Amino acid sequence: MFDRIDRLMRSLAALLAILGGLALIAVILATVMSVSGRALLWAGLGPIRGDFELVELGTGFAVFAFLPWVQINRQHASVEILTMHLGSAANRVIDVISDLLMLAIALLLTWKHWAGTLDKFAYGETTFIIQYPIWWAYASGLVGAVGFVLVSIWCVILSVRALMNGESQTHGETAH
Amino acid sequence: MTNIDIALLSFPVLLLLIFLRVPIGLAMLLTGIGGSYFINGSFLMIFAQLKNLTWGTFSSYSLSIIPLFLLMGQFATLGGMSQSLFKAAETWMGHKKGGVAMAAVGACAGFGAICGSSLATAATMGQVALPELKRYGYSGELATGALAAGGTLGILIPPSVILVIYAILTEQNIAKLFVAAFIPGILAAIGYMIAIAIYVRLKPGSAGQRERAPYSERFRSLIDVWPVLLVFIAVVGGIYGGIFTPTEAAAIGAFGTGLIALVNGGLNRTTLKVSILATASATGMIFLIVFGAGVYNAFLALSQLPQTAATYVGSQGFNPWLVMVAVLLLYLIFGCVMDSLSMILLTVPIFFPIMSALDFGLSPEEFALWFGIIVLIVVEVGLITPPVGMNLFVINSMAKDTPLSATYRGVFPFVMTDIIRVAILTMFPAITLVAVRLLY
Repeated sequence: MFDRIDRLMRSLAALLAILGGLALIAVILATVMSVSGRALLWAGLGPIRGDFELVELGTGFAVFAFLPWVQINRQHASVEILTMHLGSAANRVIDVISDLLMLAIALLLTWKHWAGTLDKFAYGETTFIIQYPIWWAYASGLVGAVGFVLVSIWCVILSVRALMNGESQTHGETAH
Repeated sequence: MTNIDIALLSFPVLLLLIFLRVPIGLAMLLTGIGGSYFINGSFLMIFAQLKNLTWGTFSSYSLSIIPLFLLMGQFATLGGMSQSLFKAAETWMGHKKGGVAMAAVGACAGFGAICGSSLATAATMGQVALPELKRYGYSGELATGALAAGGTLGILIPPSVILVIYAILTEQNIAKLFVAAFIPGILAAIGYMIAIAIYVRLKPGSAGQRERAPYSERFRSLIDVWPVLLVFIAVVGGIYGGIFTPTEAAAIGAFGTGLIALVNGGLNRTTLKVSILATASATGMIFLIVFGAGVYNAFLALSQLPQTAATYVGSQGFNPWLVMVAVLLLYLIFGCVMDSLSMILLTVPIFFPIMSALDFGLSPEEFALWFGIIVLIVVEVGLITPPVGMNLFVINSMAKDTPLSATYRGVFPFVMTDIIRVAILTMFPAITLVAVRLLY
């Protein structure tokens, strides 16, 4: 059961990260098309209208979708110079506290981002050029945000379990 | 308690959290949210801001350059460009005393021109160059030291993720910062090569001899480098020339390196997945820090601390150069334990207004460019200073038979050249600014 949830969470985080990466690739292709169009104005082509709004939509979605992946692999930048001299029990306590704090922030951000989405929906705000409703963009971020909350809950469970069993957790490798 | 007191108190709280291994971005978020609670007396204002701040940061057009550059670096590693760069540098310089190590530095510089991240540059070039260095009898000490130092060229030579962040924090033109970074980046590469030349003469057993490559082979090796040159010209040239926005340039660069990797057969479903996941890790990590710093710096600005500190320092009649030296020393010390991005995001919003209030005989814009480049270099020195230097760890983990202490010793001469270079660039701002003055 435990291992199944663990696998599920890791697959969820990986899936979201891949979706985010594909959104980035879409951003790259759209930008290249737009720039080529701009260069080929004489041939009757043109840039994509409001291309920067697509860039913002794509990266916003992608960054939200990347958060669960970073959290489940424990790849957030942190300073270990003092804690590496502490015992492993102390470090496991720190893991629990720091995962709880991350969960609190994940909940807060998701809750506020949800409220922001509702605001944008209520006011019917659209972007300037393409005029897609901004709440769509916000809602796309919610996908990653909810994943971030789920993964953060799981990370708390993992570190509490490690504290009780006295076993060390697997830490992700360093981000490049 | 005045607002200034609250802001001053927030520093020890933030540092405590950071040194208790709380992720740096999270620590800044918590301190920033807590601090604005104490200033406003309620969470209302910060909570209202958070409704739009998260999306606003994550979807920011100017920040979107970061994941694009990171993906570009990933594709560049797949495209075999690191091999062809090293091969070319090796056939030209390999026969000299310490030449293979110099070639590794040169190839790092070349790779830095298409990669905006130091860790990626160190990791990529390490894979290619370490086996060769070993084959020609270079000591693990010299090999790992040279590659760890060479890796910092990834950030020093534009494009550079850290410079993008600095440009956004200080509202400077990214293109001009990239221009300004160029000469100091080349000087860094030359400095490292000189360090190698001195090192192999002082420790004769540390490097073997490589046979001289015939000129036919040398010129042939240059042909394989053209994709790197093409991507560099398109990206950096496009930004310099104002043809593309930096984000567009990054997208084109990622497209170009991706295409090259596809043609060379380095890009397939598996490696694409690996590239995306690595980009996701680095991007998510960076954006949490950027977001946390945004919240924390908004709190500091609300407390008026940066302005007050700037006015105070400006009115004390301190010698600007002494303040500069003090700030640089602080960076070097912090760099021993903290990563470069967090340092920039934590310190620039406070130090930049203070330093701008001092008179270095430069226009505000020139000061901002010069200070940015100097800060970039000193935080990058942090990547190769023990005990916590990420580049040292990355390279050392690849060289299985070299103990970490040997890498610490090996990097020492390179840190020395870094310090000498910082001193020279600080004393003569014109070296950094001449290219900007000529081009703009």
